[in-house]
Amino acid sequence: MCDHNHNDPNHVCTCSDNPLVPQVCKVIKITAETPDVKTFRIQTLDGKKPFAPMPGQLAMISLLGVGEAMFSITAQGEDWIESSIKRTGMLTDALHEMTEGQTIAVRGPYGNHFPVDDCKGKDILFIGGGIGLAPVRSFIRYAIEHREDYGHLDVLYGSRSSADLVFKDDLFENWPKVEDLDVHLTIDRPEEGWNGSVAFVPAFLEQKAFDPAGKKVVLCGPPIMIKFCLQSLLKMGFSKENVITTLEMRMKCGIGKCGRCNIGSKYVCLDGPVFTMSELDELPDEK
Amino acid sequence: MLLPKEKLSEALGALAAEANVIAPVKWEGDVFFMPYKGGDVCLEGNGKLPPKDVLFPKTEKMYSYSIAKGTMTEHNDAAATILFGVRSCDAASIERLDKVFLEQGYKDGFYSAKREGLAVIAMGCDKPMATCFCTSMGIDPMKAEVADVQMCPVEGGFTVEAVTEKGKEIVKKWDSLLDKKSKAKPAKVECSLNINVPEDFEKKLMDMFESPIWDDVTKACLGCACCTYVCPTCYCFDINQDVHGDEGTAFRCWDSCMFSDYTRMAGGHNPRPSKKERLRNRYLHKLAYYKDRHGKYLCVGCGRCIANCPAHLDITAFAEKAMEVE
Ligand code: SF4
Ligand code: SF4
Ligand code: FES
Repeated sequence: MCDHNHNDPNHVCTCSDNPLVPQVCKVIKITAETPDVKTFRIQTLDGKKPFAPMPGQLAMISLLGVGEAMFSITAQGEDWIESSIKRTGMLTDALHEMTEGQTIAVRGPYGNHFPVDDCKGKDILFIGGGIGLAPVRSFIRYAIEHREDYGHLDVLYGSRSSADLVFKDDLFENWPKVEDLDVHLTIDRPEEGWNGSVAFVPAFLEQKAFDPAGKKVVLCGPPIMIKFCLQSLLKMGFSKENVITTLEMRMKCGIGKCGRCNIGSKYVCLDGPVFTMSELDELPDEK
Repeated sequence: MLLPKEKLSEALGALAAEANVIAPVKWEGDVFFMPYKGGDVCLEGNGKLPPKDVLFPKTEKMYSYSIAKGTMTEHNDAAATILFGVRSCDAASIERLDKVFLEQGYKDGFYSAKREGLAVIAMGCDKPMATCFCTSMGIDPMKAEVADVQMCPVEGGFTVEAVTEKGKEIVKKWDSLLDKKSKAKPAKVECSLNINVPEDFEKKLMDMFESPIWDDVTKACLGCACCTYVCPTCYCFDINQDVHGDEGTAFRCWDSCMFSDYTRMAGGHNPRPSKKERLRNRYLHKLAYYKDRHGKYLCVGCGRCIANCPAHLDITAFAEKAMEVE
């Protein structure tokens, strides 16, 4: 498909006749991140990148013969895109059974994206909980690739246990090597061999007492974690306009047609999934 | 121009010889939009169901695939269709659906193929039904949106006006049947049911999201979804796959926001857990959300949901109650 700006109300996409028909691709690499999260690297049958997403955008991934569902795109390379998928039901169970080389169909990219331009020149605090690091990672990777455009980067991430931390290569190897980037990790319960922090993400965040001056926050994780982290951030002096998150809704079409993912007059697949906390305040409480 | 009443079958026959004509026909006591096979059409009352499925079928194949071969074949066959006898409410619904399926950044290929091949011959409505309130929704019973040809019932026949190029082509085929000297003019018509909704009603409704009235106005609902199946502007759909061994076909079919699993997510969380949230979403979508996005009501006042609800829920009664809320 294409990387046009589909949020421009005047844009009519001419690149594909039919945005609801997926392209057949193959899974070229599967990485087990945790006991219940796997990352799938996807490429077209002729070895190309299916499409070029912006950080935070979504892909409709279908396992032919089983079903399709929407996932955030966590990373992309020259000739692939990647999604990290947690086992939660029939489709994700089937995805977890896949082996490398099998076919899969994808369509997208859908939705708006993280405000990569608005954040230019600013420090960014990335906060993730559990699988919530998956959407955030697309922006972290983007900020690292465009390192000179952004100020200091902090990645604050927590999970239930050390085994449940996703993207361990990035957390322990790749990101700590990046200039002016700090990784702060925490787990919920004490564990043998773990010398780092033991605290829930909101409490850990509060200990760190970040300075809100010139800083944007990207916050994704379970709803309850988001709620308490937001309270902590507001206490530190962050404003809601500067806290960015993503929403999840059941989706079928991904292009604002099937009606399913609305919150008030907004469609999460079209106007989201990325919203600032102040934008969310404007929407009815039906998330 | 006037088409005399007794020439109507001939006029439709001329069109049906070359294209697929869909017209309102009486069948087992009700009016349905069906392929025209000659004979009488029925212009009394609204169709039991709107002609929406001409553009948006109840179920439609999207694509077929073979897992082993890695092939993907799109299904999208649309025949040129003339839709005859569409009242202003149903014609307006096509305009509302166009906004959804053809705009907002993505053109729905299945809808657009059918829409491009569609010509609409609208029929003015001089006998609104007891449940009709289209004029309250900003619609003129005698002048339809999206009409290629506008006809209106008058003494002795129907006025005929070609509105678009497509319409001119149609009227050309009727050349020998038309009385071109006729000066007949359709009468002005007001709907039977009137709700005087204020200018910025949608804003008021959006501010009422937390109002206690929702418990009251939704408590009789059975969650049967009948209201959404008969509605000309409801467009929710589901996408599914029909699988046989290695091959499969993806299809879409009408869905309804009134069903509990419509918004239920894979983990079990449901943002609209009860009929209160679901009917609230339906009413607000019709009267507020869509207008906020596209500037018009998504309800065209056809009254079908009122006439068919087994629990006698009435969107106009709801609107009147909402207007009274301080
Ligand atoms: S037709 Fe009536 S009872 Fe059935 S879902 Fe609609 S409002 Fe509820
Ligand atoms: S909401 Fe009811 S009255 Fe309005 S267009 Fe739909 S069926 Fe007709
Ligand atoms: S997923 Fe269909 S409208 Fe958003």
